[in-house]
Parts: sequence; C-alpha cells; structure tokens
Amino acid sequence: MKFVPQLLIAGVVIAVMFVVGCSSEEPTATPVPPTATAVPQPPTATPAPEPTSASSSSVAPTATAIAEATAAAVAEATTAAEETATAVMKEAEEEDIEFDPRRGGVFRLLGTDPTTLDPALTTDSTSYDIVLKIFGGLMRLTDDPNNPIVPDLAESFTVSQDGTVYRFKLRENLVFSDGSPVTAFDFKWSWERAALPETGSTVVKEFLGDIVGVNDIIEGNATSAEGITVIDDNTLEVQIDGPKPYFIAKLTYPVTFVVSQDNIEAGGETWTDDPVGTGPFILKDYEIGVSMVLARNDNYWDTSAFLDEVHFNLAGGSAMAMYENDEIHVSGIPASAYERVTDPNEPLSQDVVDVPPEFFTFYIGFNVGQEPFDDVHFRRALNYAVDKEIIAEAVLNNRVRPAYGPIPPGFIGFNPGLEGLRFDLDKAQEELAMSKYADPESRPRIILTTSGTGGSPPVWLQAVADMWDRNLGVQIEFQEVEWATFLQEVDNYRLQSFSLAWSPDYPDPHTFVDVLFRSDSTINQTQYSNAEVDALLDEATTEPDPARRVQLYQEAEQIIVDEAAWVPMWWGTEGKILVKQNVNNFRISPLGSFTLKDVWLDKEIDF
Amino acid sequence: MNRAGSSEAARTVSSVLTEMEAPDSFFRHAWNELRKRKLASFAVCVLLVLYTLGIFAPLVATHDYSETNLAKTEAAPDSENWLGTDRLGRDIFSRVVWGIQTTIILTVITILTASVFLGLALGMAAGYLRGAVDIITMRTGEVVAVVPDFLLVLIIAATVRPRIKEFGYWIEDNTPISGVISSGAVDYIVLGLAFLPLSWFGAMRLIRGQTLAIRDAPYVDAARSMGVGTPTILIRHILPNVITPLIVSVSFGMGAVALGEVIASFFGIGVQPPRPSLGVMIGDVTARTGSAAVETLRSHPEQLLSPIVVVWLMIFCWNILGDALNDILNPRAR
Amino acid sequence: MLIYTSRRLLWTPVLLIVAGLFIFSLGSVAPGDPAELMAGQRADPEAVERIRERLGLNDPFLVQYTRYIANALKGDFGESYRYRGRDVWELLGPKLRVSLELNLVSYVVTLAIGLPLGFWAAMRQGTWKDPTMTTIMLLIYALPVFFTAPFLILVFALWLDWIPVSGWSGMFSTRAILPAITIGLPGAFVFMRYMRASTLDVLGQEYVRTAHGKGMGHMTVNRRHIARNALLPIITILGFSLAGLFGGSLIVELIYGIPGVSRLALEAVFQRDYPVLTALTLLGAGMLAVANLVADIMYSVIDPRIRLRS
Repeated sequence: MKFVPQLLIAGVVIAVMFVVGCSSEEPTATPVPPTATAVPQPPTATPAPEPTSASSSSVAPTATAIAEATAAAVAEATTAAEETATAVMKEAEEEDIEFDPRRGGVFRLLGTDPTTLDPALTTDSTSYDIVLKIFGGLMRLTDDPNNPIVPDLAESFTVSQDGTVYRFKLRENLVFSDGSPVTAFDFKWSWERAALPETGSTVVKEFLGDIVGVNDIIEGNATSAEGITVIDDNTLEVQIDGPKPYFIAKLTYPVTFVVSQDNIEAGGETWTDDPVGTGPFILKDYEIGVSMVLARNDNYWDTSAFLDEVHFNLAGGSAMAMYENDEIHVSGIPASAYERVTDPNEPLSQDVVDVPPEFFTFYIGFNVGQEPFDDVHFRRALNYAVDKEIIAEAVLNNRVRPAYGPIPPGFIGFNPGLEGLRFDLDKAQEELAMSKYADPESRPRIILTTSGTGGSPPVWLQAVADMWDRNLGVQIEFQEVEWATFLQEVDNYRLQSFSLAWSPDYPDPHTFVDVLFRSDSTINQTQYSNAEVDALLDEATTEPDPARRVQLYQEAEQIIVDEAAWVPMWWGTEGKILVKQNVNNFRISPLGSFTLKDVWLDKEIDF
Repeated sequence: MNRAGSSEAARTVSSVLTEMEAPDSFFRHAWNELRKRKLASFAVCVLLVLYTLGIFAPLVATHDYSETNLAKTEAAPDSENWLGTDRLGRDIFSRVVWGIQTTIILTVITILTASVFLGLALGMAAGYLRGAVDIITMRTGEVVAVVPDFLLVLIIAATVRPRIKEFGYWIEDNTPISGVISSGAVDYIVLGLAFLPLSWFGAMRLIRGQTLAIRDAPYVDAARSMGVGTPTILIRHILPNVITPLIVSVSFGMGAVALGEVIASFFGIGVQPPRPSLGVMIGDVTARTGSAAVETLRSHPEQLLSPIVVVWLMIFCWNILGDALNDILNPRAR
Repeated sequence: MLIYTSRRLLWTPVLLIVAGLFIFSLGSVAPGDPAELMAGQRADPEAVERIRERLGLNDPFLVQYTRYIANALKGDFGESYRYRGRDVWELLGPKLRVSLELNLVSYVVTLAIGLPLGFWAAMRQGTWKDPTMTTIMLLIYALPVFFTAPFLILVFALWLDWIPVSGWSGMFSTRAILPAITIGLPGAFVFMRYMRASTLDVLGQEYVRTAHGKGMGHMTVNRRHIARNALLPIITILGFSLAGLFGGSLIVELIYGIPGVSRLALEAVFQRDYPVLTALTLLGAGMLAVANLVADIMYSVIDPRIRLRS
C-alpha cells in the first residue's frame, strides 16, 4: 500500500527529500577500506560483517524454512510436504560481529515530516520509515533476497497442515520501551484496535482482513476477533480464512505492529507524541517541521543500537550543500550535481556509495473505464511510442532502468522472459491506425495527472509527452494535484490517466500483480478487468507450490502487459548516494527503507 | 482657467493642465527630460530590447520552446543554443524569450485591470463622490491590505485555479473556441486574480487622493455650477490630472508584477507548463523547494542565471524609469 | 485625537474578522474535502462522515466561522486538518517565533546599512558618489533572492567555509548571518532613499544654515542637527515597515532550511489546512493592523497636521 510520491526520481533530486529516496540493498555499505584506515581500533579485515543482513551462509537452513512458510522463494523450496513448517530463527548478529563497533554518536539526516506515527495509520513511505524505528511486529523484512522475512518479536511460528492456523511463539522477556512486558494479549489488543473503525486505519483490511473476525470489527459489528486467540502470555494463535501463503509476509507491515494499550489510552489522540514501542529507537523529541530526535531504546529485545541519537532535520534546505558542509551524514545526489560528484578528481567522489536496486515501479496508468483509454490499441500505441531507453540515459543519468512490466528485477516473480511493449515506431503507428481514435478529431481531451505541488510535472514525463506528440500526434495536458487529493482521485477512478509509483509492501508478487490488477481489488486504479487474469490470480492465491505460483503470476503479468493498462516506466537500478566516511553499516533495503540499528560512527565529526 | 485661484493645489493643477492641453509638447517635454538622464535612457533602451524580444517571441526564438532534444541535454552555450539547453535539451534562449512574453501578457493584464481600470474608476468615484462609495472602497481596501501578501496570492491562486480551468474546458467543449487551455489563458486569469487585491488598492488610493485635491478646485466648481454632468467632469477635468501619478505608479508596478509571476510560478501555482515562464524556469532548476538552487548555480549556472538576469533587469529598469518619471512628472512630490 | 484613536481601535478587530472571513470563505470555493483528506487513503465514507461531524464541517458556513472566531478569542485556533489532533497554535507558535526573529535580524541589517548610506549619499549630493551609490543599492534591491541566497551559500558556506549552510539556532548565532543579509541588504535601498530624502529636507532648512553660521564645525553640524532631525520622520516609517516584515522571508526560509512559517504556510495552502491558514492570516493581519495603528498614532503625535485629515 505504499505509493511512492513522484518526488523520488521524478523531479530533480533522487534522494534529497530523504535518504529513502535513494535506492539500495545488500552489498551496500560494506565498510569501505578508507574507513578502516581512518579508525584506530576496529576492523580486522572488515569482511562484510553486517549484523542484520543475516547474509551469506550462516543462516541458510532457516532461510529455507521461512521460504517454505511464505512460499516465496522459488527455487530452493523443497517439496511442499510441510506438516508444520517450523521456523526457529536465531539471529546471527552476535557471532557475526568480529570487531567492536563504536557505541555512541549522533547520526544526522535530512528528512520530511511523517504524516503519522501511529502504526495503524501508516501508509506512506516517510511515516513507514520512522515507525519501523520505533515499533516492531511479529515479523520483519531483511535485505537478504534469499531470506526476506524473519521473525522479529516472534521467536518462531508454526502453520497448521491446512495452512489456515498460525501459532506464534513470542520471545522471552519482551518489553516495551517503557519497560512494561509485551504479551500475546498486547498483540490481540493492537490488532483489534487497528481494526476498529474509530482508529481510522485505511490499510487494516488489506493486511489483517484475512484473519477470521477482523472484518466484523472493521465493519463495526464486533470489537473482538475470534480468529485471534491468546493461548498464554507468550503464545498467540491466529486463524485466517483460507490458505494464504503470503499472509506471513503481511505481518511485516506497520498496521500489524504491537502498541501499548496503556500508552494509547493515556495519550489520547496525540499518544504518538510520546509513543511506546518495541523498536530499536524511541522518539525523544519531535517538533513538526523542525526536527525529530530518536534515541536508543535500551529495552530493545536484541542488542541495542550503537547510535546514541538520530537527528532528522525536517526544515529542509539545500541537501548537497549541507552534506558538503558536514551538517548531515547522508545525502542523495541531485541530478544537477551528478556529474560533478561522480568525477574521480572530486574529493566528494570518495563518499559515493552504490546502492543496489530498490524495488519500485514507476508507471503511467490509464483508466480503462474512460475514453480514450477504453481502446486497447490506443493504449498499446502509446506504449510503443515511448523510447524509455533514451530518456533514462539522457534525462535521468541512467539512475533508473526502463521498465516493461509491473514486477521489478530481483523481486520474487520477476520474469526475465516477459515480452514488453518496447519502443517501435511502426507498431505504434499501426496500433494507432487500428484504434478507434486514429482520427485526432475523435479523440477526447487527454489529461495526465501527477501528484505534487510543483507546477511542472517531472522532466521525464515531459519527455514522454513530447514523444507522444511527435511520434503519434497525440497531445496531452498535464495537471498537478497535491498528494493526498491525488490518491483520493485515483482511488475513485476520477482520473483519466496518471503517473504513479508502486513499491511493494511485502516480498511476494501478490503485492504487484494481484493488488493492482484483479478486477475486484480495492487498489485497482486503472479499472482493468480481465476474467482470464482474475482466474489466474485466484488460482495463484491458494496455490501451495511456490514455483507454480510464480508461474501463474507471470502468466497474468504477461496478459496485463499486452493489454497495456499501464505504460510501465522505470524500475529501480543501482543508485548512488553520499555517505560520510565515518559512517558504517548504513544500508537501505530494497523495499525502500533504511535501517539505523546497526549504524555506527567511527569518530564524531561534531556538527 | 482661473489663474487667480488661491489654493496651492489649483495652481499646480492648472500648470499641469496647460501642458496637458497640448499633449504633444507635454510628452515631448517629458521625453526630452528623460533623455537628459543617462541612467533612465539606458533603462528605457534595455526595456525596449526585452519587450521587443518578448513581443516578437515567435520570430525571435530560435527553437520551439517545448521541443526536447535528448541528444543534447544540459549543454553549455554555443552557436546553436545561445544560452545552452536544459535537462530535456530544450533551448534556454527560446524559453527565456517566450518567458518574457508570458511576463508581458501578465503585466498588461494585471496593470490594465487592477491599476488602470479598477484603480482609476474606483479612485475617481471615491474621491469625487465621497460618501458611501468612498467608505466602502476604502474599508474593503484596508481589509485586503492587512492580509499578508504572500498568503493572499498563494491562497487565491491555489483555490481559484481549478474553477477557472473548469470554465476553460467548458468554453472549449461548448463553443467553437478552442485552445483556451493551451494558450495559457487560465494562468493569466488566475495570476491576474491573485495579484488584483494587491495592486488595485495602491492605485486607487493614489487617485482618490489626487481627485480629492482637485475636486473643489475653482474651475471644477465652475464647471459644476454651469451644470456640467458628473461623468463629463470626471472625464474632462479630473482624469487628465490623475493620469501622471498613475503613470508613475504603473511604472513601479511593472517590475513588481514580473517578480510576482516568478515567485508564484516558483511555487508551482503560477504559469503551468508547457507554457514557459521565467518563474517556471527558475522553479524547475531549483527543485521548487529551493533545495537544488545552490547545486544548479554551481554546476549549470546558465540555467539559473538566464531567467534571473532578465527578471533582475526588468525590476531594476522599471524602478529607474519610475524614479525618473516621478521627477519629471510630479516635480512637487519629491 | 482621542476620537480618532478610539475609532481606529474599534475598527481594527472588525478589520481582522472580515479579513479572516475572506480566507475562510476561500476554503469553500476550493475543490477537495478536508475531511476526505484527513481520513487518508481509501477511507470509507463513514469515516469521512465521522470526521466531518467532529470538525463541524456540516454546519452552515457562517456558523463555522463564528465558532472559529469565538474560539480564537480564547486563544484556540482549532485543530489542524493535516496533523491530526494537533492544536494549530502549538504548530504555529514556535515557527512564528523563528520567522519573527529572522525578520528582526534582517531588519536590523536593513537599518544598519540603509540609514548611514542614505545620510552618506545625501551629504554628497551633487557629486558622482551619490547617484553611484544609489544605483548600486538599487541593483542589489532588484536582484531576486533566487540568486542571492544560493550565491551566498556557495561563497560563504561552501567555498570559504565560514558559516553553516542551513538551519536556525536563534538570532544571535552564525546561522542567522546569511539569511539576514539575503533579506536585509536589498531592503536597505528603501531606507537609504528615505534617509537620503529626509536628510536633504533637513539640509535645506534654515536653522542648519544658522547653526553653521554660528561657527560650529562642519562635523558637529552633521551629527547634532542633520542626522537627528532627518531620523525623526523615519521613525514613523519604521512602524509601517516593521509590520510588512512578516512575509519577507518566504523563499529565503526554504532555501536556507529555516524552520519558520513559510514551509508550514505552503503546506497548508496545498493541503487545504484552513485552520492553519486562517490562523496565519489573523495573526499576520493582526500584527500589521497593530503596527499600522501604532505608526499612525505616532505619526499624528509628531505631525499634528495629520489630525486635520481625518
């Protein structure tokens, strides 16, 4: 449910808004040699010791177990003869650390105000990032593609044979940041609270609606869900309404996180001013539009964070200039600075860190319920007429990869053999001639809406419009609508065409293909509907064999691409950000979030 | 012409009037005075060049303002693109020239409606008729004047635009007129409306004051007692006397409107693409929050400086000109 | 005098209420439903309705506004639409302070440069120095902040590395220097002109020549009489211009990343956070009105002729 605001690649800056804007993943900030020399004590050899990314080999067996449970990983998933796929997950953290990272220090970032800090209300990526620091849930995401989901507050879980009953065992002696214990009851309370209409969560149906009884709460007919059972203080049993292998993946989303009943009842509507959670950090201070300070949570269940504090500057300003002036530790690279910064003669180039692809897909969506996008030929013509390769190269410095389908490379279910509608002038004109809008007179006015308040649509979109005009004679108008209104309009099918980005909520093709294209999905913004696709998706939902599932999704994806409800535009690709040399272990997950728990600073540059 | 009139106001008025009666000599006098001032002459020349470029943009521009050239993006100035190209390979020179045209259209609309039309009409009405008209216009003006400028412009532009746009669509759909939206008319109307509250009151107050000063002048009295109707008095006797301060105030206003456009477009509520404007160009390269301004100035200064220098010159020259005109036309007001 | 003052005093609140009404009513012209925006993505109609009910959005427009004003008088400017459960004053207060501080420092810069320069230029009337200085200051005045702000950052923060790029830590910190110059320097032109004109007026007056004739040294004449008398009319202008300060820092705040009202105001405009906007308007207008009032009264005290006019 994370639409990414256009800002990301869109405008001028990939990541200035937040570090989030960047791209990211595993090999990332493997402590760089220069760092090693700079520091007196730490690294012996610095062999990629990241604690979180339970990387490489050490945890492989358990990884497979999870993969089975989630039916996510494709290849190594052995037979699905799992009675109970038990996942006992011991974090590899302690033994992985071969040197002593420095404790302490203040990490400074440029950020933007989160819309909310209430996990139940979190839907946007900015809020998501902060909420993930302060709160936690049963499961969490890692940036290891082979082992994307690991237990967090849960120690282990089992799944019944029919795939509908999950039994979670919580870790021993779990406490909230205020020291009070976390029990299975807290989870039941948190989930039921999230579902209550008064809470106003807009995503609870998608993430917890599978649980028996939760929908009754959402509809206001109940206050308790029979599907959530507290067995004892440390054991929670959840019954869902069908075998849904991706259910466990959903438990990594904030709406499923555990919150403290005392905290919420005492705090009233502004309880998030002083939130109590189970994340590695606590909210120490927050002044809207000014700054946010996170401090280490010493009651964290695992080894606590290294940093004393994280300061987010929320007042904006010139990110690059601030970075160069040692006012922040991390910065994205604005397009205009890209050449200068990556020049090897420039000292700054030492700070450039590659971030492997983030999973997102930018696209132009066509509302197939409105003219002229009700004609598949017209939609295909527009697809064929766009030369994404040259836009990516000339306009976006190759910081995105041209996309030809919804599922990005590296994501589970990505289909390298997918036949996209690649740039082809002849085909474009052919398709246009076949469409009922071949005659310009018969064409209604076309308005493409983007989100934002900037006035100008992103440059790449202007380039696309220019290509449509020159290659097909199809003229469009732009309209900019502020983000919140934009989403309302999109969701209510009020927009004819729009540009948007989607980033996955959990590592499963379901989050791309099913959520966005099934006829009855609430987030099917294009009103795309195809019985064959629906049938494939339905089958995939309950298909136990991971390989077969992926295949079903890919078949559906191919049809969707052929019918061109989108012009898929960009996938993430290796990006670059600037990270100060004294920062270790700063990584951004491919799902677009960054972890701070394992970050440590060599020496404090006091700024 | 009652030269024996004792009031000081009447004396200046009548002296100006004599000049007005022979407009030829009046303007020649002003022109001669202007030419004596080197700086003012320079300002006039610069403005003439800029405005000629803008008015004849279709002829002057070397490229189509929206034509992208992805093979040549962010290029430095050369013989093909005199001021270089932007991120989409569009010709900066052509965009600047078209941007000047946008500014010209906008200033004309704003100045005409706000200063000239509303300011003159209301100012003369309030000053001459006094009473309720005076009270209502002055009080309304005070209310508007007390609202912080930037909030007013932002709020009006942001709220009114969708309605105006709907209206534009309606015209296109229901009448044979087409191209309303793509001509940028919506932007002009929106910005005109947004600037209106800021600009009419100043002009109106000025003209009201001037009108008050001469409404009781003997010759106006005389005209009135001779049974000359109010409209005639206003047009024949009052109007010529309030024109000169209006000219001065308009010339100061021209630069301000140009800056207003830049600020509004910078925030994305002014002129909308594909129509280029100086503000859109500045906004585009500064990432609108200003966060990229430093970087652009450093890496591609021509992209930022081209539109800025034009705005700078406009504001500077109009101020110089306004000063000079003030000296020449209202010698007493100094 | 008394009548005049009390009439102005009575008029001011009416002025504010009408000005607030103006902004408030624009909200009903604008598209988009604040309740829908508050409810967030994919909210169901019932949730939206609950929010409408809670905010009283279903009431007639004038009822809403009356309630708003009544609460505002008690210091309660309502709840922000965007930041749920957040008091508007709580949001605005700290930012307003920062903006005021920023503008105050800038104002000091303006005066510190403008007044002496104006005096200096007037004393050199007739030489090449006077028009040259005036032209230079006008050139600076005309320069858009879109250039000055990044330029100063580039030179003083990045190349010379003297001053931090961004942020705010009070009006006496080094961070205040660049923004204050960016805002203050162009404004200096205006005061230079006032001061120059005022000084020339004084110079032209008889008693200065008399003082001169009495045999005082040239410098003494400068200090004692001319400067003091030239400043007198400027004092009244100070009041008026102080009020205008409020809006001067919009873009500067953005580029320097100063947590003042500008970002909040922009957000409020785009997200239709009318409680915040109306509060901003009322506060801004209030300051303006009060400053005008004070300046007016001061003016009429100094120059009795003004009383005749009203």
